[in-house]
Amino acid sequence: MPKHDVLVIGAGLAGQRAALAAAEQGVSVGIVSKVHPVRSHSNAAQGGINAALEEDDSWESHAFDTIKGSDYLGDQDAIEVMCREAPDELLRLEHIGVTFHRDEAGRLGPRAFGGASAARTYYVADITGQAIMHVLYEQMMKFADRIDRYEEWFVTALVIADDGDCAGAVTRNISDGSMEVFEAKSVILATGGHGQMYRPTTNALICTGDGMALAYRAGAELMDMEMIQYHPTTLAGRGFLITEGARGEGAQLLNARGERFMERYAPNKMELASRDVVSRAEQTEIDEGRGFENGTVALDITVVPRKRIHEALREIVLVGRDFAGVDITREPIHIKPGNHYAMGGVKTDTQGQTNIAGLYAAGEVACVSVHGGNRLGANSLLDTLIFGRRAGEDAARRGKRLKFKRASKAALADEQARIAAILDRERGSGRRISELRAELGATMDQHLAVFRDEQGMATALDVVRRLKHEAKTAYIDDRGAVFNQDVLGALELGFMLDCAECACVAGLHRKESRGAHYRTDYPERNDAEWLKHIDLSLDTEGPEITYSDVTITQWEPAERTY
Amino acid sequence: MRFALRIWRQEDRGAEGRFERYEVSDIDPEASFLEMLDVLNERLVSDGERAIAFDSDCREGICGACSLTIDGTPHGPRQVTTCQVFMRDFPDGAELTVEPFRSSSFPVLRDLVTDRSALDRIVEAGGYVSVGTGPKPEPNAVPVHPEVQEAAMDAAICIGCGACVAACPNGAAMLFTGAKVTHLNLLPQGEPEADHRTRAMVRQMDDEGFGGCTNHGECQVVCPQEISIKVIGELNRDYRKAMVHKLRARRGSIKPQ
Repeated sequence: MPKHDVLVIGAGLAGQRAALAAAEQGVSVGIVSKVHPVRSHSNAAQGGINAALEEDDSWESHAFDTIKGSDYLGDQDAIEVMCREAPDELLRLEHIGVTFHRDEAGRLGPRAFGGASAARTYYVADITGQAIMHVLYEQMMKFADRIDRYEEWFVTALVIADDGDCAGAVTRNISDGSMEVFEAKSVILATGGHGQMYRPTTNALICTGDGMALAYRAGAELMDMEMIQYHPTTLAGRGFLITEGARGEGAQLLNARGERFMERYAPNKMELASRDVVSRAEQTEIDEGRGFENGTVALDITVVPRKRIHEALREIVLVGRDFAGVDITREPIHIKPGNHYAMGGVKTDTQGQTNIAGLYAAGEVACVSVHGGNRLGANSLLDTLIFGRRAGEDAARRGKRLKFKRASKAALADEQARIAAILDRERGSGRRISELRAELGATMDQHLAVFRDEQGMATALDVVRRLKHEAKTAYIDDRGAVFNQDVLGALELGFMLDCAECACVAGLHRKESRGAHYRTDYPERNDAEWLKHIDLSLDTEGPEITYSDVTITQWEPAERTY
Repeated sequence: MRFALRIWRQEDRGAEGRFERYEVSDIDPEASFLEMLDVLNERLVSDGERAIAFDSDCREGICGACSLTIDGTPHGPRQVTTCQVFMRDFPDGAELTVEPFRSSSFPVLRDLVTDRSALDRIVEAGGYVSVGTGPKPEPNAVPVHPEVQEAAMDAAICIGCGACVAACPNGAAMLFTGAKVTHLNLLPQGEPEADHRTRAMVRQMDDEGFGGCTNHGECQVVCPQEISIKVIGELNRDYRKAMVHKLRARRGSIKPQ
C-alpha cells in the first residue's frame, strides 16, 4: 500500500506546485493523476498570469481590481495574500525556465487584460499555461527521489479516519483496474473544475468536478457554487476558447450591424471590462436580435497589427484556421459567451485547509475565495500557484508533525463493491451514461448560463435530480479491467451530478444578481441581504445551506462600473 | 461522409494485435477524426462490443495526449494533432488505416494507446533548472534579448506527444530531446548546467533504446508544434561541447560541472 506524508490528487499547475512545495520541505509526496500530468487542463490557460511587478504598479491596485471584479464577494484577506505574493512567484517561474515575453530591451513585458487598471499580465505568447506546466513538470522530475508519480490512476473516494481526519484516498489503476488505498497524513485536492457538466464548454474532457464531489461526500463544505463563469469569447459549437489576450492586444467586439456595442455597456473599459460584464453585453445583443443568425457576435482581431498577431496570438491563429476556417488576421471571427470556469468549490482558508483536518484544496477545485462572483482573466494561474504552494507547505509541516493514521480497509471494500455493482448492471436496464451526460450538459447551458431565473434554475434542479436517479441504473458495456473508460465515465457522471445539484440549489437560493450570477427576476445586487457566501454540506437529502461572512479588510463594497 | 477503417486492436501490453475492419457512414465532414471514432465507439458499445481505446483530452491541440497514426503518418496528413484533423480532409469513401504511434520505445498498452514514459525519463535525467538564484533578485537584473526568448519559446512549445519518434525511420527521440535541451540551454538560467543536462539526457535517450538521427527530417514534418530540426543541430553542438569540456576536465585543464 503506497504511503506518503502528502498525497496530491491532480497534477495540473496547482497539484504540481503543491507537490514541489511539499518536496522542498523534505517530506515524501505522492501525486496521483487520471491523465499524464502534462495533459492536465492547466495547459489550456492561454492569456497569462497577473503580478504587480512594474514599478508604477502595486499589489494593492491588483487586489482592488480583483475585489471589484469579484463583485465584492471575494474574501479580501485571501486576495491580499495572493496579490502580495504574486511577484515573487512569477520571478520564481522565470528562474526555473519559463520563457515569459521580453520587450526590445530584454525586460519582462506585460500585456493588458480585462478588469485590470494596469498592464500586469505576464505571458508566453498564448500558451502560458502549457509553458508553465512543462517547466513545473521538469522540476518535479528533479525531485524524483521524493515525489512518486502515479499517472493514470483515478481517485474514487477519500478515506476518513475514525477521528474524522482525512487519511488517504481509494484509487483505481486505470491501466489494469486494480484498486488500492493510498495512505497519507494530508491529502491535497487539485483536481480542477467541473466544466464538463456544461455542453459546450472550454474545459477538457477530464474536468468533471471530481475533487469537489469527493470532498463534499467526505463532509467538506462547498462555497460559491452558484458562481460559474461564461467566457466572453468562445467559438460557437465546440466551445473553443479565444484568449482574452486578443482583446488585450486591441481586438474589438462588433454586433451584426457593425456597432462596437461595448460603448453602451462599459464606456471606459470597453472590451476589457470584467468577463461577466462583457458576456452579459454580448448575450443581450444576441437576445435582442443584433447578433448574427448563428447566435454570435464578432470579434475583430484584424485591427491588431499582423506581426503582433503572429507573435502574441499564434495559437489563436491556428484555432481560427483549424476549427472555424477563418484567417483571424483578415476577417472577424464569430464568438459567443461559453462555460469556462468555476469560481466556487471546496471551501478553504488561506493555507488551503478545508473543514476536515488533513484535507486541503487548491486551484479551481477550491474556493478560498479569491474570485468571488467573477474571476479576472489571468488570476486563475496565479491562484493555482500561490495556493498550491501554500497548501503544499502547510501539508508538509503537518506531515512532519504527525504520525500516520490507520486508513480503514472498509473504505476500499466499499469502493470495490460500488464499482463491481456498476459493472454488473444489466444491459438495457436503464439509459446510457453518454445520454445522461449530454442531457446534463444541455440543461445546465440552458438554465444556469449568462442569464438565470427562478423557473429555469428550478427546471434544471428537477432534471439534475432525475438524472441522479437515472444514473443509479445507467449501464455500461465494457466489463473489462484494462483501460475501462466506461466505468470511469459512470463515476465522473456521479461527480458532475453532485456539483450540478449544488450549483442549482445555491443559484436558486441567492435571490440577487452578483458577478456571474445574474438573475433576470432579481436584477440588482443586494448587499444588505446577500453580501455573504452560501456554503453547502451534504445532508441525507442533498445539500444543506449555511452562510459565512465575506471578509472585508480595507475595500468597502461600492457600485461597480467599467 | 462514408469511410472504411482498418483499426489496430490489441487487448493489452504484449498481446498479439491485429487490424479489424469497420465501416462508418453519415459522418459529418466537420467532425474531427476523434469525434468520428467517438461515433464508431458509440455504435460498438450499443452492439455490445468493446470500444476502441485511444488517448485524448483537451481536443483543441494543446495537451499532446492524442497519438494516432493515420495511413502511416503520425497524427495524420496535416501536421496538426489528431484532434485537429477533420474528416473533410479525406475523400469520401476512403479507406483509412489507423494504428498507434509505432516505436519500440513506446509499447502498446491497448488498441491505440501507447506508453510514452520513456520521454519522461529523458527529462528526469536532467531536463530542468536546479541552480538557485538567491532571494528576491530584481526582475530585470539579467535582460534576455527577445530573440533569445523567442528561440527558447519556439523549443519550449513542445507538447511531448511523441509524433517525432513515431515518424522517424530510426525511432529517434532527438527532436524531442533537442527541443528540451535547446529551451533550457539558450536561457541564462539554464546555461550553468548545460553540459551536465545535455550529457545526461542524451545518455538516457540512448538507454531507452531510441535510435540516432540520420537527417531524414520526418520529425519536423509531423511535429504539430512545428519545431524545427534545427534543435537537433543545437543538441549535437551542445553535446559535442559538453564532451569536449569533459575530456579537457579529465586532462585537468578546466573544472567539470
